[in-house]
Amino acid sequence: MTTERECDQLLVERVQAGDQQAFNLLVAKYQRRLLRLVARLVHDPAEAEDVVQETFIKAYRALRHFRGDSAFYTWLYRIGINTAKNFLVTQGRRAPTSTETDAEKAEGFDDADNLRDINTPESVLASKQIAFTVNAAMEALPLELRTAIVLREIEGLSYEEISEVMSCPIGTVRSRIFRAREVIAEKLKPYLDLGGEKRR
Amino acid sequence: MDAHKKIREHISALGDGELASSDLELAAAALRLADGEQAWIAYHRIGDVLRGQAAPEFSPGFNERLAARLAGEPAPVRRGTATPAPAPAGATTSDAADGSAKVVTSP
Repeated sequence: MTTERECDQLLVERVQAGDQQAFNLLVAKYQRRLLRLVARLVHDPAEAEDVVQETFIKAYRALRHFRGDSAFYTWLYRIGINTAKNFLVTQGRRAPTSTETDAEKAEGFDDADNLRDINTPESVLASKQIAFTVNAAMEALPLELRTAIVLREIEGLSYEEISEVMSCPIGTVRSRIFRAREVIAEKLKPYLDLGGEKRR
Repeated sequence: MDAHKKIREHISALGDGELASSDLELAAAALRLADGEQAWIAYHRIGDVLRGQAAPEFSPGFNERLAARLAGEPAPVRRGTATPAPAPAGATTSDAADGSAKVVTSP
């Protein structure tokens, strides 16, 4: 079985072999989690984006030295936290303490009110459209597909755990989650600027 | 199930860390193709939304700007295996790699 960490490491090794597109996949996977983390530290939306961009550039530059001793995302988050701290220092603002920049805590942050001020009206609208579309597509899913993807994406259960909960084979779990994603992705297509999201 | 769909199913499982090792090569190859890359992006986006994390949205053009900067960077190709891995780049000296950031250590 290929774990998420192994999957990331596979992509890292492709980047280290000269494949920049593999880095795009890592960006696609982590950019929003990273922005959510950085936005807790740097509240201005444009500045938070700049820090995220700088973080990815730094990670890309340093990736040749990354050996996978730690998970890619913890390494990336540490770069992000320190880039944000350095940014605040250069701006003459107080850098958060280490407690405040705890990556795990920031990763779990889900307070919409506190994030409101870092979004522009356009980005809020785009985000709402996407969220509405995903949630509407979810509601229309057959129960077994909806249950499977909820257990995976929201509850974070493994396929094996889901198979126990849903009393079905692991292959069925895998298929249900995939089918759910396919249906939702199809509805989402008009709202995802995949041409723009691609960074070839 | 057609071949493209099967491959996207591999990508779905790969993103979950649930892909059988025997299918890894196929999925990795699929990720190099536009269809695979788009599926990867969409599936992660769905996950972000479903987790309801009040994720902030990037401004239009963020990815293009990042792509333009990445395109100007030399590929971080790893030479040999003897290169020691530094501490995570942001933690100490690597933040100063581009000369624009002051190094800060956690108190």
